[in-house]
Amino acid sequence: MTMKKNIIVLFICACWCMLLVASCESDLPRFANYSAYAFSQLDEDGGTWTPVVLSSANQIAIQAPEDVSSPAYQAELTSLKSTIANLNEGQKNAVEYWTNNPIIRWNEIALELAAKYNLIPGPNPDGTYTLPNPATPEGPTPFPFAHPAYTSRMLAYLSVAQFDGLISAWHYKYVFNRLAPSQNDNSIESSYGDTMLPSYPSDGAVIATASRNILSAMFPLEKAYLQERAEEHLSSLLWSGANVESDIAAGEFLGVEVAKLALARASQDKMSKAQCPKPVSDSIKASAFTRFGWQWENLEIPARPVGLAPLFCNVRMWSVPNVADVRPGPPPAIGSAEFQTAVKELQDIQDNMTEEKRKIANWWSDGLGSYTPPGHWNKFAKDFLIKYKENPLRSARTFAYLNMAVMDAGISCWDAKYFYHYPRPIQTIPGFKTILGTPNFPSYSSGHSTFSAAAASILSYIYPTESTQCEAWAREAAESRIYAGIHYRFDAEVGIQQGKDVAQYTLAKAQNDGAD
Amino acid sequence: MKNFTRRIYYLLFVLTGVGVAQAQTPLDAIMMKQKESCFALTYDYGSFDEYWEGTVLRTNETIAEVTRITVTPMIAIGLHDKLNFYISVPYVKSESGEPNGGLLQGAEGFQDLNLSLKYEILNKELWKGKLAVLASGGYATPITNYLSDYRPYSLGNGTNEWSIRGIVQYKMEMGLYARIAGGHLFRGETEVERDYYYNNGSYYTTWMDVPNAWEYNAAIGMWLLDNKLKLEVNCYGLHSTSGDDIRKYNAAQPTNKVVFDQLGFSGQYFIKPVKGLGVLAYYSQMFNGRNMGKFTNFGAGLTYQFKI
Repeated sequence: MTMKKNIIVLFICACWCMLLVASCESDLPRFANYSAYAFSQLDEDGGTWTPVVLSSANQIAIQAPEDVSSPAYQAELTSLKSTIANLNEGQKNAVEYWTNNPIIRWNEIALELAAKYNLIPGPNPDGTYTLPNPATPEGPTPFPFAHPAYTSRMLAYLSVAQFDGLISAWHYKYVFNRLAPSQNDNSIESSYGDTMLPSYPSDGAVIATASRNILSAMFPLEKAYLQERAEEHLSSLLWSGANVESDIAAGEFLGVEVAKLALARASQDKMSKAQCPKPVSDSIKASAFTRFGWQWENLEIPARPVGLAPLFCNVRMWSVPNVADVRPGPPPAIGSAEFQTAVKELQDIQDNMTEEKRKIANWWSDGLGSYTPPGHWNKFAKDFLIKYKENPLRSARTFAYLNMAVMDAGISCWDAKYFYHYPRPIQTIPGFKTILGTPNFPSYSSGHSTFSAAAASILSYIYPTESTQCEAWAREAAESRIYAGIHYRFDAEVGIQQGKDVAQYTLAKAQNDGAD
Repeated sequence: MKNFTRRIYYLLFVLTGVGVAQAQTPLDAIMMKQKESCFALTYDYGSFDEYWEGTVLRTNETIAEVTRITVTPMIAIGLHDKLNFYISVPYVKSESGEPNGGLLQGAEGFQDLNLSLKYEILNKELWKGKLAVLASGGYATPITNYLSDYRPYSLGNGTNEWSIRGIVQYKMEMGLYARIAGGHLFRGETEVERDYYYNNGSYYTTWMDVPNAWEYNAAIGMWLLDNKLKLEVNCYGLHSTSGDDIRKYNAAQPTNKVVFDQLGFSGQYFIKPVKGLGVLAYYSQMFNGRNMGKFTNFGAGLTYQFKI
């Protein structure tokens, strides 16, 4: 009888433990955990910095605001007070979420859409592939396929529009010098704390509208979602007490106009021709074979007729005059001693895979379904922005130079990939197996290495104290592709140098934009 | 003693017959006496060349046919006439067939340590048979650092799992029996080797939530040839309570809402000349699923029981 009791007690204990464990599951983070913060500096001279697509900070004209003593402005303050006094929980949460540096939130939204759309078209039942078409974004294959090249460009336009919009906003802020509502009325308290940053035009509204419009062009199926996010963001500017309605209206106008200019550049940058038809792809392949005696082949089943974006090399670069200026020399000939050394290293790694190497390969994989390597470097940049308490203008600048360099690095890398058309390890090494899927483009040079080295160069310049860390990340990202079995060591090493070379052009611009 | 052996076979069928997602806990109605013990070794061969992407059944020539071999040593111990303890550690090897899917490495290694306890609540004569009611609780935890995110080859879910189950069986004197069992699996989170992933939105963490699941098992069987042979038809299902779907032409991940139902058949034979030794064989086929390979499994096992 006692035995039976003990058994029952044991059983109850086990069940209790189980419920305890089950209830311990934590909420997993969906976005960066930070709150509004006091900016490390205001960059009062931000309006004098050199923009990218704007010819000058005042290219887009906005009206002068009403004087703070005017009845119109006073009415706006009265209305603002009543709004702030009646916030519900949802509105308070929105204020807390968007913060006073919403550059970070819009970057997160961009990365989320990149991950959502980074899905490679699968084969049709008859063995053909249907590529996404921007004219019919809903499909059958949804547009876009947000691969690393696409994502690098999407992020570049987003960041450039934000940056130029904020340079312009800063210009007008200090021209008109209309202070924040809380400075003009003691009874108003901003959720984001006191700031001496003038509030006309609203920097938040520039960011919301420019970001919404760029991302809507890049992800046409997400227009409604982006509109919803922008509306919440714009409303939160009032709910937080940071802006009155006229601040927001002026910021919206500026954001919309700057997005138009950025998208005008995008429409002419030849990205629409990057994914060329098969005859063009075949002739690129044939000329590589004539030149070098080798050619990369897609080994998927059914084989993909065209590699990823063979003509991304023709896309207009941000800072490099000619893509050939940064093209690396040729890879080792197949069968050469240098080639054999690289092959032996790959075989040794796969035959003696360690948990550490496996982890590095996976950590940097940023493959299909992820935010891609450009997204990964944006995440690092975001962490720095929060750590260094950057204001939105500085934040946009960091992202703009980072993403322009990363996109240029991608264009340069794709140029090398299709110029040399070098086969992947699975093609040259009989029976070779990898721990990551081999991408649908040639081997030399490594995209991860080129993207990462360029990104590390920019972040090292902006955050010199982080440079050791950034360089180490870039090296590890490059190395990871060797561990994964999808790149030779020379792909990675040349890619690192290539990324650094490309970044020099971006740095030359950054160092002279007036922000240093 | 003979009866005891049968019980172990019975248990083994349930252990192995559930194939890929389940490798441990007893869903049967059998109890061992105190100080009785059993060692069992089973071999399971599972394969699929179609899988459910969400609810859509598809092929994928790049992974082609995936095979999964599971070898499971298990020890069962009668702690008490009404309380049994089970321990097992499956060894799994998973890979794609050549040449199509031969470009990616497979995975191989010990998976999870599985521990469970089963308690007999009721066992009484009823009409011309016996009614048994049991409850069991289990715990499983990974014992190697396998990567749960390496789909479709990963060895397991890579997380702690607590389970509770209830079992009811009615067996007639003539040898015919019917059994139903139901359980709930509480799964934790699994650590993966990336710190960002998409699961209907962004996640900035290395941890993935593995969905909890309901499971059921229903069986009808018969003892034949003077209680030397048992034949059974068995239906097993596992239904995750949450989770996302595999995205189009994309890899699976541990957060997926996994569902499957499978129908199986097993035969067990007790080798009379060798005391304590027996064999079993089974076959099962999934007929419904979501975010799961459409597995066909077959397996065989040896058991040997003894007094402690």
